[in-house]
Amino acid sequence: MSRAMRNPLAFWGLVIIAIVLALALLAPVLAPYDPDAIDVKSILLPPSTAHWMGTDGLGRDVFSRMLFGSRISLLVGFVAVGIATLIGVILGAISGYYRGWVDVLIMRLVDVMLSIPTFFLILAVIAFLTPSIWNIMIVIGLTSWMGVTRLVRAEFLSLREREFVLASATLGARDHRLIFRHLLPNSLTPVIVSSVLGVASAVLIESGLSFLGLGVQPPQASWGNILTEGKEYIQFAWWLSFFPGMAILLTVLGYNLLGEGLRDALDPRTNGKGKK
Amino acid sequence: MIRYLLKRLFWMVPLLIGISLISFFIMHLAPGDITTTEAGFNPKASEESRQKLRELYNLDKPLIVQYGLWLKRMGTLDFGTSFASHQRPVFWEKKDDQGNVNPGMIQEALPVTLLINVLSLLLIVVIALPLGVISAVHQNRPPDRAITVFVFVGFAVPGFWLALILMYWLGVVNPWLPISGLHGLGHENMGVLGRLWDLGKHLAIPVFISALSGLAGISLFVRNGMLDVLHQDYITTARAKGLPENTVIYRHALRNALLPLITLLGLSIPGLIGGSVIAESLFAIPGMGKLFYDAVLMRDFPVIMGILTIGAALTLLGNLLADLAYAWADPRVRRGVVQ
Repeated sequence: MSRAMRNPLAFWGLVIIAIVLALALLAPVLAPYDPDAIDVKSILLPPSTAHWMGTDGLGRDVFSRMLFGSRISLLVGFVAVGIATLIGVILGAISGYYRGWVDVLIMRLVDVMLSIPTFFLILAVIAFLTPSIWNIMIVIGLTSWMGVTRLVRAEFLSLREREFVLASATLGARDHRLIFRHLLPNSLTPVIVSSVLGVASAVLIESGLSFLGLGVQPPQASWGNILTEGKEYIQFAWWLSFFPGMAILLTVLGYNLLGEGLRDALDPRTNGKGKK
Repeated sequence: MIRYLLKRLFWMVPLLIGISLISFFIMHLAPGDITTTEAGFNPKASEESRQKLRELYNLDKPLIVQYGLWLKRMGTLDFGTSFASHQRPVFWEKKDDQGNVNPGMIQEALPVTLLINVLSLLLIVVIALPLGVISAVHQNRPPDRAITVFVFVGFAVPGFWLALILMYWLGVVNPWLPISGLHGLGHENMGVLGRLWDLGKHLAIPVFISALSGLAGISLFVRNGMLDVLHQDYITTARAKGLPENTVIYRHALRNALLPLITLLGLSIPGLIGGSVIAESLFAIPGMGKLFYDAVLMRDFPVIMGILTIGAALTLLGNLLADLAYAWADPRVRRGVVQ
């Protein structure tokens, strides 16, 4: 971990993530106004000392809505990635450990899922269900596990043949001991990297869905649906589209930096100056 | 090559069956049947159109029969007609009783999206290649650092947000570019060049937006690929025998670094097609993305199912083309020496 922190990408990524996370956790303390409180006397006010990020078309304080919106965006990101990682690790482990026809079946399923354009798949599922924050988490999770499955499978396939695993198998260790004590802990590094990168893409997907009106539904604030309102008022109120856009950009940047930084730091091949 | 092609085509069969299963599964996600769920169906829809939907998907028959019929309709590319009042065929044109030709919805939207995607793939290659090569050649020096910053910001910027900003800045504040649709007023009266110029102006921002995220990824990929190749022995040999540095980089290194790029471009197709939803609906471009978005809002199920299936088939086709291009470029793959 200390090696990872010496990597400038990972370090700055973590700084951004920590700030955004702190703001999200402390939202009820930090928010100067009730995020849903409508105030008809202060509609579309530009940023000022009273309203740091201005107010929206219903006179709601944008800064407070941004703070509470960050909770939604991050929650969707974390839960979706959690679901995807869980599915990916389980399927990848089964595929890589047992091989044979199970492996063939799972890998074909991965190919099929990868061949359907993800955003179409997500929108189609949402068309058949109702757009709610829970459905969105589940749908994003169920459509983004394929990468993890491939990673874990590849790790399992190569680790299986290594001496320490063979030794343990020779000593009579059972399947579950081999899987949970030897194979799984040693294949977690790429999973961590891909989960961190996954949060970034889940946050982007959620904001895109909410922007299209098919994600988090108003009045509940999310960065994406604040931007939708920003689109309506773009000629009169730049702050309504500027701040949520920047928030999404910074958050996604943070997770991407940490993910790529961790990959560099944890991969012995790219560690240090040159390769090999 | 023929044998390779046949092998690849054969592998597409299980994938197509899988796609039919997944789309069938999605259709049955809604609780009850899709005609009765309040969320799943437009409450304004008449009993008649509900009945039509039940007939279309044979919802009164047993599940296995339903699937068989769905598979058969997928095989014959028959996706029924839209629920919208115009009742146009979803996929391809059909003649009605009076002999009038009714143009298909996907038939009209597909070329638009293909055009945008081909243009953005071209843009990606044209910009990402030099960026990646420069980055690799100047590893860890200022040009590399600057390009890395660009790559990360390009990855992180939400496309729809940038589209909104460009739309406002280039379309409203400085009205240089049109921000809606594909054609300007009176484009029928323009010459060929005038029409192309008009189309180009309409497509400039959408193509740029759709290329942006791919741009960042591909240039990073080219950079890492080049770095890998540049550290190999045959590059040292090429340098040792006194070849000019440009020859080493462009003739020896770049060619080998480019091979995996073919596959990656093939893999980026579903992302591009899916990404077209936001750009097309923002700019009111009548392509697959906008068609799909409107269908989702209207709960126009035949259109949703049709686009989902055609989109997946297109992706398979794109991957096939990429694999063939790879086999064409690398004889080792063609002869089955390496995977």
